[in-house]
Amino acid sequence: MSEALGLYNYWIVIFLMMTGLYLVISTGNLVRKVVGLNIFQASVLLLYVTMGRVDGATAPIFVEGRETYTDPLPSVLMLTAIVVGVATTAVALALTVRINEAYGTIEEDEINEQEHAQELAG
Amino acid sequence: MFQQTVDILVLGLLAATALAVVRMRTLIGAAMLMGIYSFLSASWMLILDAPDVAFTEAAVGAGVSTIFVLATLSITTIRAKRQTKFQFAPLAVVVLTGAVLIYGTLDMPHFGDPEAPVHRVGNRYIKRVPEEFKIPNAVTAVLGSYRGFDTFGETTVVLTAGLGVLCLLRKRREDEPKVVTE
Amino acid sequence: MSEHLAVLPVLLPLLAAPICFLLRNRIAAMGTAIAVCWVTFVAGVVLLRTVVTTGAPAIYELGGWSADVGIVYHVDTLAAFVVVLVSSLGAVVLTFAPQSIAKEIPKEKHHFFAALYLLSMAGLLGIAVTGDLFNVFVFLEISSLSTYALISLGQDRRALTATFRYLILGTVGATFILIGTGLMYQMTGTLNMAEMAAHIRETEGVRTVLVAIAFLTAGIGLKMALFPLHAWLPNAYCYAPSSVTAFVAATSTKVSVYVLIRWIYTIFGTQGPGSMSGVVVDLVLPAMAISGMFIASTVAIFQTNVKRLLAFSSVAQIGYMALGVSLVSESGLTAGIAHLFNHALTKGGLFLAMGCIAYRIGSVQLADMRGLGRRMPVTMFLWVLGGLGLIGVPCTAGFVSKWYLVRAALEQDALYLAVIILLSSLLAVIYVWRVIETAYFQEPPEGKDEVTEAPLSLLIPTAVLIGASIYFGLFTEWSADVAGLAARELLGVVR
Repeated sequence: MSEALGLYNYWIVIFLMMTGLYLVISTGNLVRKVVGLNIFQASVLLLYVTMGRVDGATAPIFVEGRETYTDPLPSVLMLTAIVVGVATTAVALALTVRINEAYGTIEEDEINEQEHAQELAG
Repeated sequence: MFQQTVDILVLGLLAATALAVVRMRTLIGAAMLMGIYSFLSASWMLILDAPDVAFTEAAVGAGVSTIFVLATLSITTIRAKRQTKFQFAPLAVVVLTGAVLIYGTLDMPHFGDPEAPVHRVGNRYIKRVPEEFKIPNAVTAVLGSYRGFDTFGETTVVLTAGLGVLCLLRKRREDEPKVVTE
Repeated sequence: MSEHLAVLPVLLPLLAAPICFLLRNRIAAMGTAIAVCWVTFVAGVVLLRTVVTTGAPAIYELGGWSADVGIVYHVDTLAAFVVVLVSSLGAVVLTFAPQSIAKEIPKEKHHFFAALYLLSMAGLLGIAVTGDLFNVFVFLEISSLSTYALISLGQDRRALTATFRYLILGTVGATFILIGTGLMYQMTGTLNMAEMAAHIRETEGVRTVLVAIAFLTAGIGLKMALFPLHAWLPNAYCYAPSSVTAFVAATSTKVSVYVLIRWIYTIFGTQGPGSMSGVVVDLVLPAMAISGMFIASTVAIFQTNVKRLLAFSSVAQIGYMALGVSLVSESGLTAGIAHLFNHALTKGGLFLAMGCIAYRIGSVQLADMRGLGRRMPVTMFLWVLGGLGLIGVPCTAGFVSKWYLVRAALEQDALYLAVIILLSSLLAVIYVWRVIETAYFQEPPEGKDEVTEAPLSLLIPTAVLIGASIYFGLFTEWSADVAGLAARELLGVVR
């Protein structure tokens, strides 16, 4: 029982990550893929932040009379990761716009059909 | 106990939102739910005493990313095809990956354990920051000094993405070689 | 100056990138970028010489913070070798680029090309020298994002979808790496690789670390296109602009292999108490490597687009490197490391030759290359030399690394491995021969304009790379010998 209480946070975070990954690999719509990627990355942030938690501590902002603080390092790392995630999203969406211009669709199966026809035409 | 209740409540909401994103049929709906998801995760980070990440996630994750997606939808299409048939393979992949991860959690130190090995370097910061800096916020101090090079790298990532987006979306002049479409 | 040597190869291209973009003028931007690349190359060579002659790694504390709290650059022989690999290939390919992109990329995007190219190179160099696991992730993203943008510059609209697929799979790979990094960090409490290696001994058999290793391997496997995680590679190589294909094929996947070597040998350890990478090294890597060597080579035989043929050949060649890494012996590791460099030269040269061909005939289809041996004799001759290197014919660099690989297999009494290496080389003979046969023994297509030899500004860089691949097949002092030194360092053999 104590095992489950000590780890349930991680298990839900894993569920969240896998939900995002599922959307990425199961959908054929490019925008939904990007949304899934976002959920996947946002959930990894939770994994790190969960690790940094210390029972009975406060946020790592020093005040008189407090001894225990949360670990600042996971926060630092995830600040970087958030920005990296948004940067990737931006590039992915810009590509989606261009693909829509070139193919007139953002559905993977319709794009594949057109590419197949292009392949046969040489 | 109160803390634990809030914790479970927020995590439950997160899980529900994530599932809703997968099931959402309209793209605008998915974009909005993505924003809500980021906002909920920011709230949870606040509960976990990580206010710096929480604010950044609320502003950048929930705000900027959602706006990017909505902007994309406004110039492409909001129509998404219905997934016609259920695919087994993606589900198998994520169930397997998830199972591996859960196996990995079995040896993890429990949530909130102050003795967990993960705090090795973090404790050095807690000890050194008040001595070496006048800044009360340890996260800011580490971000700007000890791991300042990561922050520099992060800025470069933004520069790279900015260049990439500009390069992709820049309209070409008529006399230039055209993208082959046939 | 000399104490900043370790950080110089990363900072030079990183700081020059925004300058190139702001110059806007395409000639000034490309000129600056080429100059910076060559200076970076010189800095890299000096760095390698310093590390090899002093026999100690060059350590640089970024911002002056020591390893226990900050990020350090840790440049051992292997890291310096990879720095030279990336900067030399980067410089030669960029020298090739101006004339090539003039035909393939709209003129108003040339300054974007220069800036993104430098950023990509800086990212790869940053991965090579850093001693911090999270820093690897940050620089991996710098190089990946800029590579996506570069590939999307391809003329064909399929470049866009190829880039999108690469972006999705690449980001999934990077996120796996981030998860693996997180789990390693959770169990060791540090991100510094040396400190992590010291503490991993305390975590023998801990399931969290085993899962971390699995995630790191899967993530970097996606990035290095290890079979069967290579789905993004063929189209990305096929539809990218010629010079981008040459640069990415020569450097990007090689740096990922380097990262795998770094993790397995520096962090996880391969022998003694607490060595954790057993399953990966003994089972997963060799299985993926061998299936890649066979399946990807076989698929290459049936390609009608020569760039895609070479792309599948790259997937197979990644297999040789992974196999060498998985053998955990001095000659095996030497083979893997030497093949990084030797194959980078060979494949870089071949893709540049394809750039020459695309420049003159505007196509890279096998059918359009009929009779090209008579019309572009120099280019095709260089192609043939490169092709021989792919097969691993003696006197080429490809032979040297395969020789080490076969020797490593025989040392472990794994005769079957030696046979497998030879058999898969036979498959390479077939796909290389298909191109040679088409170019030399078939009549040129009727009714096409007369084709002439490629201009010298394209031929010289191509000849430099192919020539180097022959040179390092004959003289191994600065290639395979350094690789051997790096391998001994990693295995902890005192020199």
